[in-house]
Amino acid sequence: MSFIELRNIRKIYRTPKTERHVLEGVNLTVDEGEFVSIVGYTGSGKTTLLGIASGLIPPNAGRITIGGRTVEGFYPEAGIVFQNYSLLPWFSALENVCLAVGAAFPGWPATRRLRQATRYLEMVNLGNAMHKRPSQLSGGMRQRVAIARAFAVEPRVLFLDEPFGALDALTRVNLQQELHQLCLQAERPVTVFMITNNVDEAILLSDRIVPMTRGPRATLGPGIPVPLPRPRTASLLLHDERAVRIHSSVVRLLTGFAHDGNLPVHHASSPARASRTRPAEAEA
Amino acid sequence: MKTHKLTRFLLPCGGLLLIGLLWWAASATVSKELPSPWKTWEDSKVYVLRPFEKRGETDQGIGLLAYYSLVRVAKGFLLGIALATPLGLLIGISNPFYRMLDPAIQILRPISPLAWLPLGLILFRHSEPAALFTIAICSMWPTVLNTMAGVRSIPHDYWNVAKVLRLSPVQTLTKVLIPAALPNIFTGYRLSLGIAWLVIVASEMLTGTAGIGGFLWQEYNSLVYAHILLCMLTIGIVGFALDRLMGAVEARLRSA
Repeated sequence: MSFIELRNIRKIYRTPKTERHVLEGVNLTVDEGEFVSIVGYTGSGKTTLLGIASGLIPPNAGRITIGGRTVEGFYPEAGIVFQNYSLLPWFSALENVCLAVGAAFPGWPATRRLRQATRYLEMVNLGNAMHKRPSQLSGGMRQRVAIARAFAVEPRVLFLDEPFGALDALTRVNLQQELHQLCLQAERPVTVFMITNNVDEAILLSDRIVPMTRGPRATLGPGIPVPLPRPRTASLLLHDERAVRIHSSVVRLLTGFAHDGNLPVHHASSPARASRTRPAEAEA
Repeated sequence: MKTHKLTRFLLPCGGLLLIGLLWWAASATVSKELPSPWKTWEDSKVYVLRPFEKRGETDQGIGLLAYYSLVRVAKGFLLGIALATPLGLLIGISNPFYRMLDPAIQILRPISPLAWLPLGLILFRHSEPAALFTIAICSMWPTVLNTMAGVRSIPHDYWNVAKVLRLSPVQTLTKVLIPAALPNIFTGYRLSLGIAWLVIVASEMLTGTAGIGGFLWQEYNSLVYAHILLCMLTIGIVGFALDRLMGAVEARLRSA
């Protein structure tokens, strides 16, 4: 049963002098509780696609529905995590999360809001830093606050816009693991729509990976399922043959886009070439 | 470090000394009417040494006179920013309002306090409200423009946060807009206060109300030139102190 549906999305950014045709003919369906990652080059229009799917950016053509409802404006039961954290610098970590909780559950008394915010901050291991301002926190901690803020509103859909893109490799691996845990622990299934340029991250977290062609007029390639058992860990995936195979088919699709800009023939089932060396994990 | 301290203290003193020398030279050569620094001090020390003494309606200590003026400036300034802050927020948020009001503001802004004052007298018929009106209307523009600029320069991310968290309009205003624009708003307040203090002298001179500007005009009419210089120095020092005070508040807000 498809939960999120994108139909023939087109997006053109127009200024009086220029016109950038970013997206063309984008179709995607995401099932309820599914974790889908869109993987593509920087500048291909991934963030625009996420903005359109969440209702933040109106498309020039096409239709978006979530749970059967047409999306106009930001979808009410969604949370979002931006690459640059987007925390309000004049509030503490706790106040930032509380603000979101209060706006999502206006009927709740203050003590319950505080309890909810505290609980989610503790889930991302920020119990000791709740009263610090974003400027006093490291990049990884800021992104933890942003993740706690997104989960604390108990969303049905979570939009993640390169959530770990600005972090160093080690922090990135830790946070990926925490996000993985949060998704597994959620009280009701969360449908996740993630944008990333990191294939390993996508394999660790997703049920399905959808590569995106290079812009302009970017569109989505065929989806590649990730039928690996959960919970997953980055170190296990390094040596898992299926993970390696998925990795290489994603990379092959993406590099195919890079060369001719068109959709290549789908080879998802072809075995990974033994000679293909994986890029160093530190690239993450 | 030592030379740094020395230059920080000595150079400003040198500048002031230079002005004093010019003043003395002018009084000694070109203009015999102009009292020398020393004579100015001799003639006005009673006002300075007993600043809060009231010897009569037209003969009061300089501290008392400055206090009257400060109260009047405070009233006019508060009235001005009370009007200017919401106006600045409004034209910062709304493009139609910006288009509508920007030309009007640009036309009203360069009008001198000397021109507003007669209008104030016509409107209110009394000198006190006319003075407040003049101070308020002349001092509000920097706050309007800075508040507007502050709101318009709020990063797109913060607007997205308001949208994503589905904040109500009131929450968006109090939790996002005002905190984000606050440093700019206070820059506006500092500039506005400077203008309010500039305007006070003109408005007191024309309306003849008690205060530092009124005293200046009264002493000019009674040909006590030393007191004019005393008033000028007081105006300068008080203005400087006000600016430093607002600057300190502003710096705290920026670092917070």
